Amino acid sequence: MRFELFALFVSPATYVASFYFLALLGVGFRFFIESFVLTDWILPPLASLVVGLIFGAPALIPFLTMRSFAEERRLGTLETLMSAPVSNLGIVLGKWTASYLFFIFITIASFCFPLIISLWFPEQSHSLGFDRVEQWIGTLIFLLIFGASFSAVGIFASSVTNNQMVAGMLTFTLLTLYLSVMMFYFGENIDSQFTNGPTQVVWSCLGAVFGGLNKMQYFSVGIIDIPTVLYQFVVTFYFLILASTQIDQVKK
Amino acid sequence: MSNERKPLPIVEVLNLRKRYRSTEALRGISFSIGKGEIVGFLGPNGAGKSTTLRILSGLVAADSGEAKVCGVDLAEEEGEVREHIGYLAENNPLPEDFRVIEYLKYRASLKGLKGSRKRERIKSVLEICDLERQISEKRIGNLSKGFRQRVGIADSLLAEPRLIILDEPTIGLDPRQSAITRKMMERLRGEVSFILSSHILSEVEACCDRMIILSHGQIVAEGTLLELQKKFIQSVAFEIVSKAKKIELQRSVRRIDPQCELLQDDPVEITGRRRFTFNCTKGQETVELILRTLLESNNFEISEFQVCRPDLETIFLKATKQNWQEMDLLGRGKNKIFKPQN
Repeated sequence: MRFELFALFVSPATYVASFYFLALLGVGFRFFIESFVLTDWILPPLASLVVGLIFGAPALIPFLTMRSFAEERRLGTLETLMSAPVSNLGIVLGKWTASYLFFIFITIASFCFPLIISLWFPEQSHSLGFDRVEQWIGTLIFLLIFGASFSAVGIFASSVTNNQMVAGMLTFTLLTLYLSVMMFYFGENIDSQFTNGPTQVVWSCLGAVFGGLNKMQYFSVGIIDIPTVLYQFVVTFYFLILASTQIDQVKK
Repeated sequence: MSNERKPLPIVEVLNLRKRYRSTEALRGISFSIGKGEIVGFLGPNGAGKSTTLRILSGLVAADSGEAKVCGVDLAEEEGEVREHIGYLAENNPLPEDFRVIEYLKYRASLKGLKGSRKRERIKSVLEICDLERQISEKRIGNLSKGFRQRVGIADSLLAEPRLIILDEPTIGLDPRQSAITRKMMERLRGEVSFILSSHILSEVEACCDRMIILSHGQIVAEGTLLELQKKFIQSVAFEIVSKAKKIELQRSVRRIDPQCELLQDDPVEITGRRRFTFNCTKGQETVELILRTLLESNNFEISEFQVCRPDLETIFLKATKQNWQEMDLLGRGKNKIFKPQN
């Protein structure tokens, strides 16, 4: 994992992507805060940061994950790595943890924007609700669980090709698709659409995954929706297992 | 019956098979490698050398058969087997952004080395592979091919493996760097078993205790150089430097072996000595008898006598030729089946 983190830190692409991402997020956040009173935004202002990070993820995550397996496959170092006494899942977990830690680093960096406002403008910060710890914790957990599943999607995309660009584009496509589906179901109660036996079970599971964005309203006020956390864990685990299986295919 | 226990072989391979789609890469090969042995893996391109080595390293799964390393079955305990193996892949892929020392630290951690043992082992392999301090601080991307190869070998030695698999370790190296690699193997001879795959036959001949020659996924020859020489080269060539007349010498030789053939006779000195090269089909013992007889007769003034041993290249070509012919015939047979009838 340390090796992977090091690889991310020495890669100029990661720095450039992180810098532009944080800069754009900062500018967006500033304008949102300025015009907040004029909007009909019903969530706490801190949730805008979550929206920025979640919808910016398809542009950010590829830079963190595309290199991981694609580059190793291209250089042939994956073979060297696999000759060490480490399991495939161990390798996948190492790479995922590194990119996830980088995502956490960017998330924490983005939280500096409201923190700066809280420190320099306490009155405005109070009126915007930045002094409510539960909102900070809720939004942070929401970002962490979605960051985990997004990174897992990126790691999987990187494991299927030996071309970084293809891996990056595949990550972008998969995440955009995932967000589009979530947006499609945003505000709808999927569980109540089907009420019969097994169909309801399947739909309630899919609904929990696709309706993940719906739960932002809970997290942003500090209510932790455990099923959402669990479902994102399932998505993360699923894509990591897929990546591990994909690496295993190299052996055949 | 002897009660003496045979030491457990480091590698045991039994009827190993592997197929890549329509190509049968391995057709049921079996061999074993003892402790401390250096075994050369030879064969033309596509013979199945790298596939065998990759299977033994746990990088590729075999379709059927059994492979054990240090008594551990690869199919059951692949992870444990990897702990006993040091592997240098063909072309030695390395991450270019890392410094040598960083890379070795990383690899040592992956191989489960910690604390003082990790430091000791890194120091030791840097010394064995002659990667002095200045080199260890350099980025791998800035190193020459020879040094990169040494980094790969250093990595394979890190966890004190009982078996080291080197796939084409000296490819593209200059003679000095190849010699350093051989020196490193010599240093570890007896302690560690080596499997060395190479196309450089002189190198295999120089440093391997035993050779395994593969062709079309089958083992076509196996043994020490002497055993292979006996097996594949039935005739023995020998040279005599003498002042004797050609006809007299030939007559004396033919009295012992009527089929012994004079291949060449060249003048060697202005003193009138000539170098005669004979080919004897009856083996080493007959050649020794010829020498004794010629020396006893005192008429030939023999100043030099030398048995010309066939080199590994000759053996390699002979061993693989038969297999190529067989495969060629099989191939032709197949083509006949699919030939459209006019």
